[in-house]
Amino acid sequence: MANPETGSPAAADVGLPLLRIRGLGARFGTVEAIKPLDLDVNDGEFLTILGPSGSGKTTLLRTIAGFQPPSAGRIEFDGKDIADLPINRRPFNTVFQDYALFPHMTVRENVGFGLRVRGTAKAQLNDRVDAALGIVGLEEFDARYPSQLSGGQQQRTALARAMICEPRLILLDEPLAALDAALRRQMQNFLKTLQRQSGITFLFVTHDQSEAITMSDRICVMRSGSIEQIGTPRELYYRPKSRFVAAFFGASNIVEPCRIHETRDDATIVETPVGQFRISGPPPDSSSGLALAIRPEALGPEDETRVNTLELEVVAVSFVGSETITELRHRRTSQVFTMKTRSDPAARPPDIGSILNIGFDPAECALVTEAAN
Amino acid sequence: MTAYARMVRPGLADCLLWGAAALFILIPLASFLIFGFFSVVSNSIDYRPTLANFDELLSNSSYRTTFFRTMRMAFLVSATNLVLGYATAYFIWQRPPAWRNLMVIALAIPLLMSYIIKIYAMRGVLGTNGLLNSATMALGIIDEPVSALLFNLTAVRITLSVVLLPFMVLPIYVALERIPASVLHAASDLGASEIQIFARVVLPLSLPGGIVGAMFTFVLASGDFLAPELVGGIEGFTYGRLIFSQFGLAFNWPLGAALSIVLMIVALGVIYAARRFGNPRWQR
Repeated sequence: MANPETGSPAAADVGLPLLRIRGLGARFGTVEAIKPLDLDVNDGEFLTILGPSGSGKTTLLRTIAGFQPPSAGRIEFDGKDIADLPINRRPFNTVFQDYALFPHMTVRENVGFGLRVRGTAKAQLNDRVDAALGIVGLEEFDARYPSQLSGGQQQRTALARAMICEPRLILLDEPLAALDAALRRQMQNFLKTLQRQSGITFLFVTHDQSEAITMSDRICVMRSGSIEQIGTPRELYYRPKSRFVAAFFGASNIVEPCRIHETRDDATIVETPVGQFRISGPPPDSSSGLALAIRPEALGPEDETRVNTLELEVVAVSFVGSETITELRHRRTSQVFTMKTRSDPAARPPDIGSILNIGFDPAECALVTEAAN
Repeated sequence: MTAYARMVRPGLADCLLWGAAALFILIPLASFLIFGFFSVVSNSIDYRPTLANFDELLSNSSYRTTFFRTMRMAFLVSATNLVLGYATAYFIWQRPPAWRNLMVIALAIPLLMSYIIKIYAMRGVLGTNGLLNSATMALGIIDEPVSALLFNLTAVRITLSVVLLPFMVLPIYVALERIPASVLHAASDLGASEIQIFARVVLPLSLPGGIVGAMFTFVLASGDFLAPELVGGIEGFTYGRLIFSQFGLAFNWPLGAALSIVLMIVALGVIYAARRFGNPRWQR
């Protein structure tokens, strides 16, 4: 079970995290690509570093891998500081965004590379390569060169190559970014299953929040070189701490400014320009730039669970298949809301300009601040 | 553009390109090479086809000696430059990006200079009063100027090595530049040491560039006549000079053309071999 306070799985309580990062920073000249940050990666977990481009997520991964020298801080693996270890001595392997396969080697030679440079005996090497090729389903392609493989096959070769030395941690730098949507979903499932069965810790970088949600045990959201929030997918989805995280996970309706009216045991009452609402849970520690974030799919016709209510005018309705997206406007403040509801074949869409009584569940919205830290 | 014009254009362009290639390259070449099958009778050319020139080439050992000496010289220049060129290209590749471009430009500038000037410059370096002798004497390495550096085959080799070096460095450098940084990172990430990365990844990926460079160097060195003429003296008599002399002093165009045909066959063979081995299976 996840700990709701920190989002760490129970494994964290057992002992030290597998990878412990303290005050790690990186800079390119005068640009601070990563501001000194702390991060714990637990043994056996699938941790995703999620962020838009330029957030420092890839730099963080490259610094851990050793491709980018840190400007400050410690990287501890299994209790030992490895920040000064050369790349080839670091006890984990990387899957690259462009796969970085050796073009002059066959699939078999690529996969066996890590063992070959360690001087593994030929018979053992062949057995282990066969096993790795079996896991990724490339037995029949072992004599091919990377240029003769599809994107998905190259991806799986890169994965087998990174796994061959049986590292306890694999770093994955946007490994699915170059694949088309269908293959991507297939590879997401494959990666997740592989990670769970092998027990290898995955540190995975992506800019795709849906990918992060479906695959990860925990997600670390990065923004401008800092960690914005770390938590389980559910925590980030339902309990974003900042506007940035809320927006990143699709809670696009932001109501501000918010003022805390009353704090009760299990709920917080807030005062907003569009009305007074009840929010589940305690208020955030900081109150700078406090706002209310509501997911488009949390809005719906007022009923017994959607106890927070608003009168909103219909601006536009668009039918997008399984869902219908309705643009709504609060008349007095001109605040715009987006509502996403399941399409109902029997219902007639509301008229433009009509007034609807819309409600939302106190548990399906979050109080967010300007920045998480 | 009408549909008709679009349809016709590619065909027309092809015809023009092939026509130009034939007109400016193939026809002049053929009209020259055909002389190899004529002969000279009392200072004028006899246009009856004959294989007499090739018979002469095969039977006269002095032609063979010159041919093999020249091929050996060209091979040694290629081999020397493969090592020197690889080291130079690798050195440039290891510099920071801003330096690299400057160094490549500096390397390419001599290609724009007059060939004769470069050879005379080398004569200045290699001569008894030359830079090499003055420098080594000033450093106390030698007491007397060495005259063995000029007017022999060694001088030709040194001169050709220096003058042809850019043809080796550039293709190797391009091959090195093409290796993605992530591939080198991957090798390191998988535990390879610097030496293993070089031997297993960098060298095999850049060697095709070296083969292309060796091909350029060999073809240019084997046919060159200016450098041997100017720094080779009597000892440095090469196949290129042999051909040259048939058109000048000896006035035997048919024999010169026949000698050229042999050289061209060698060059085509080398180019074919370079294409085969310089373009490995994984690249196709």
